[in-house]
Amino acid sequence: MYNELRSRLDRGETVLLDGAMGSELVRRGVRWRKHGLETDAESVEALHGEYLAAGADILRTNTFQLNPRLYLHVFRDLEHMRQIGAPGLEHLVPKLQKTAVALAKRARTKAGADGKVAIAGMISPIEHCYRPDLSPPYETALREHQPMAEVFAAEKVDFLLAESMNTIHEAKAALAAGRAAKLPVWVSFVIGPEGELLSREPLADAVAEMEKGGAEAVLVSNAPPADITRAAGRMKGFTKVPFGAFAHIGRFSPPSWKFDFHPQFIDTEAWPPAQYQAEARGWKAAGARIVGGCCGTTPAHTRVLGEWLGRR
Amino acid sequence: MNYEPLREKLQKGGTVILDGAIGTEILRRNVSWADHQLASKPEFVRGIHEDYIRAGADVISTNSFQLSRRALYNHFRDDAHRHHIGAKDLDERANLLLAASVRLAVEAREHVAAKRPVAVAAAITTLEWCFRPDLVPADEQARREYREIFGVVKQNGADLVLFETVNSIGEANVAAEVARELNLPCWVAFVPAKTGKLFTGETLGDAVEAMQKRGVDSVLLNCAPPDDITTGMKELAPRAKVATGAYAHIGRFNPPEWMFTDEYPPARYQKECAGWKQAGARVLGGCCGTTPEHIAALQALR
Repeated sequence: MYNELRSRLDRGETVLLDGAMGSELVRRGVRWRKHGLETDAESVEALHGEYLAAGADILRTNTFQLNPRLYLHVFRDLEHMRQIGAPGLEHLVPKLQKTAVALAKRARTKAGADGKVAIAGMISPIEHCYRPDLSPPYETALREHQPMAEVFAAEKVDFLLAESMNTIHEAKAALAAGRAAKLPVWVSFVIGPEGELLSREPLADAVAEMEKGGAEAVLVSNAPPADITRAAGRMKGFTKVPFGAFAHIGRFSPPSWKFDFHPQFIDTEAWPPAQYQAEARGWKAAGARIVGGCCGTTPAHTRVLGEWLGRR
Repeated sequence: MNYEPLREKLQKGGTVILDGAIGTEILRRNVSWADHQLASKPEFVRGIHEDYIRAGADVISTNSFQLSRRALYNHFRDDAHRHHIGAKDLDERANLLLAASVRLAVEAREHVAAKRPVAVAAAITTLEWCFRPDLVPADEQARREYREIFGVVKQNGADLVLFETVNSIGEANVAAEVARELNLPCWVAFVPAKTGKLFTGETLGDAVEAMQKRGVDSVLLNCAPPDDITTGMKELAPRAKVATGAYAHIGRFNPPEWMFTDEYPPARYQKECAGWKQAGARVLGGCCGTTPEHIAALQALR
């Protein structure tokens, strides 16, 4: 399936990435625990299905910010987790990853889209996606991304998307982990308020490192549409591989409980689908061949992109 | 005014009953606890306080665990990033919610109008994650933040601060000093490790001595399983001049939520508390996983 996607990109076609999973599940009232994968599997699968119906060429697994540290972090250490934590916590992440892939695949099969739509296994920064200062050193990041990439490879996703990377060194580690697991890898970067990576490292350097490491595509994401438009406008100047763009809409409204990540975006009405489509047209005009939606976007946003790109 | 009867009771060696969990009780009643529900379901939070007052609690603690400016700000790279992509109310939100948490407890007391004195304790925990002493901020930074937090809860009518789930003496010292500076009565509850020490390796003897020096009225143990509380109480009670207390969690932490188990039904939990009282504890209550039924069962220990 990936070869097909790849050749579409090579032919210069624009491919459509789905929209947000986490923020949309939260908006629909799913109580955010274990990404809804244990308690709300039907809602997760149904949302994948809606993105497919809206015309998405790629479904991303509902695994954003899912990694063992997410659970380990809130304990003193592993021993404390074993003592007072729910049984099985230390082995939970691979299980959730498998569930996430299965739900995306089931939605694809139900939609009759096997062989037409690719599933991207999604890994994201080991620490909070908005906290580049917490990103572990390369070797640590590689050691922690590796098993997650391997689970996705074993579950036969079509490719790996290292999403919302906020530093060059961790993106390199995630990319290396995916390559070692023999998966094609795409990498997306969080764009900071200054227009570079959230770490303030130059976007051009990040792209060069990703190309050197064998990334098949590089994307800009996790910032408001205007920022993504500016970043996409610069990508052509220094990017040889296909590149893409997807913005978040609304404002991040974290929970008052101290959780690692709870994808709640509010005030998203400020970006109705038609307006989002107009912005995305700019990304395509700037050379982006992959467009989609980040946090806050919904199947309605994907649908207008799909209509514009002739998917429906 | 609501605190004086409590102070007298402790000085006379009487037994004080705290409330039970509020965060996990919200979950047990099948509501998400992501935003403390202070803005979205205030009557629901107040209702739980009222249930605890009816169950006989002398002290009700606010629904403000880990609620602080820092908790919200930690989700962003820095101020510029937060202002750029964060919800517009984030700079004010924590203090508004903190104030609401105190007001809801005060209102619950007015609603139930118990004939006995009930004190409202502002439940404040460590600035960083409660089980991670490695993340404790530097003293002067922590002092600034506690001044703000304790100031808000005092202004909104808290009778005392229950500084709870504390993992290091250093952070407890700062919080106790700030409470004293604001003339706010302060109780401090430490998390005991299996070893009967703090997670930092510091001893409970040293902890209680440091708290007494800073004018803390009671030193407690919380947020550990009953067995660890029992071990810790043996270390704490013999070394304390102030009243000691304990409230254990029951069930298991299943982040971001709680796993309820039937291991400690009210009658069994009461027996554990009776053991802590035997060891010297005078303040008894419940941490995560406990319910109004558990607090009702503790009335027999007065």
